Amino acid sequence: MQLRFEEVGKHFGQLEVIKGFSGEFAQGELVALVGPSGCGKSTLLHLVAGLEKPSAGKVLADGRPISGPHPSRTLVFQEHALYPWLSLQANVAMALELQGVSRQEAFELAQGWLERVNLKGFEDYYPHQVSGGMRQRTALARAFIAKPEVLLLDEPFGALDALTRMALQDVLRELIEEHQPTVLLVTHDVDEALYLADHVLVFSARPAKVLQTFNFTHCEKSHDLSEFAAERREILRLLGIKTEVAHP
Amino acid sequence: MSQQRRLTGPKKYVAVVLAVLFILLIWQAAAWSLPDFLMPGIPTVLERMQAAVQEAQFREGLLGSMSRLGSGYSFALLFGIGFGLVGGVLFFFREILRSAIVILQSIPSIAWVPLFLIVMGFGNLPIIVVVALAAFFPMALSVMNATESVQPVHVSAARVMGASRWQLLRRVYLPAVMPELITGAQLAFGNAWRALISAEMLIGFGQGLGRSLAYSGEIADMTGVMMNILVIAILATLIDQVVLEKFKQRVLRYQYV
Ligand SMILES: Nc1ncnc2c1ncn2[C@@H]1O[C@H](COP(=O)(O)OP(=O)(O)OP(=O)(O)O)[C@@H](O)[C@H]1O
Ligand SMILES: [Mg+2]
Repeated sequence: MQLRFEEVGKHFGQLEVIKGFSGEFAQGELVALVGPSGCGKSTLLHLVAGLEKPSAGKVLADGRPISGPHPSRTLVFQEHALYPWLSLQANVAMALELQGVSRQEAFELAQGWLERVNLKGFEDYYPHQVSGGMRQRTALARAFIAKPEVLLLDEPFGALDALTRMALQDVLRELIEEHQPTVLLVTHDVDEALYLADHVLVFSARPAKVLQTFNFTHCEKSHDLSEFAAERREILRLLGIKTEVAHP
Repeated sequence: MSQQRRLTGPKKYVAVVLAVLFILLIWQAAAWSLPDFLMPGIPTVLERMQAAVQEAQFREGLLGSMSRLGSGYSFALLFGIGFGLVGGVLFFFREILRSAIVILQSIPSIAWVPLFLIVMGFGNLPIIVVVALAAFFPMALSVMNATESVQPVHVSAARVMGASRWQLLRRVYLPAVMPELITGAQLAFGNAWRALISAEMLIGFGQGLGRSLAYSGEIADMTGVMMNILVIAILATLIDQVVLEKFKQRVLRYQYV
């Protein structure tokens, strides 16, 4: 699914969060959004998900304005959004059940997806009984099971340790390569953006505007990101972080 | 949620047994220090209870009481949950409902008896309505308050997955408010039970527990009075502590693992 933003603006009351954002993302592209905390990245994803409406401009999916949530555009939330009263398997299955798939079939498919994210044997655990990384993997399985055409990821691995995060990035990459959704990934981790994304958009502080776009289409990447050191330094500089040792 | 905040297992039972023993001890002490016709002792009352349970009339009365309780209480549960959920989602309706409940709740449910008696006539109906009214308010209030504080991300997540309004209520709001719903149901049961006994005492319809208690008092049969009180206490404790608690542990299984 192709996504198009036309001069999109969003404010909450007096607070201007996004201002004149335009952009176009092709089917199957992975776009990383980085920017200071509170600049409006989550809000942008909520606009695409249809949870919020733009105050100005248009958000188009395959040329049609987004009028509300639809299972073809799914969002993995920043906070824990698994249901504590459902087992991991039931959580994943719910995505299908809400679309009218029978309970039995949904549970069977959910089991397969839990296996895909290495959670075999934890089907009957409740979210509070498993680790943060396992919860996040469940959330990914819940997002992928509906075969979305647009996948919105809001700091999916933000709260995890570096090792778990890298392992999950690989899981994510595999899943994405297989299903080719258009992905918007919000992250605070510049390395994550460099590793996963075709395009990296760096946002300014609120109201969010794109400062610069970096393109990495057709790059082969590994977790060793040393060949992207220049881009990395530039992104950090745009985010206001010093990358050089100060000389007296 | 697995913290040791509540007593579980054998310790809890010991506590309950101690509480029961303490109450019985006070009773028996009163029986020893007062003449028999004023305060009968435990053995006398237990004997009477055994005899009463074998009487068809007493059992029918008991059945009558329980069916009035059952109808009134289930009515209140149904409407309390319904109004509470809807009130939690539609916030204008919520303010109306909440204000109405605050006003109406300040009237003791038993105060409605004269009105209902005249409007509905002598019979089961006024008692059932009083029971339903007494239980409805805490039920609706607790469900409504809980619905209001359902985490927005849980709602958004379901919307993103394509949930309809009905699915949102059924699959997100209802399970999310379940802990408070059950607490509310227990509170509502206490109210319903008190309303039942007082209404039966006042209206004197049927041979129910309240009527039987009031009658024993009228003929100064203290053994009968104590026997009825004992039955009231035992039944209420059984329903609340056994039936509702078991239901709670079953529905909220996820909190106990
Ligand atoms: N529903 C809302 N009502 C009012 N203000 C909101 C709402 N949602 C977001 N905001 C405001 O919009 C601004 C941007 O929020 P947003 O969550 O999009 O930031 P973010 O870039 O995702 O930040 P972070 O990186 O910390 O997650 C914040 O100042 C926030 O207070
Ligand atoms: Mg955010």
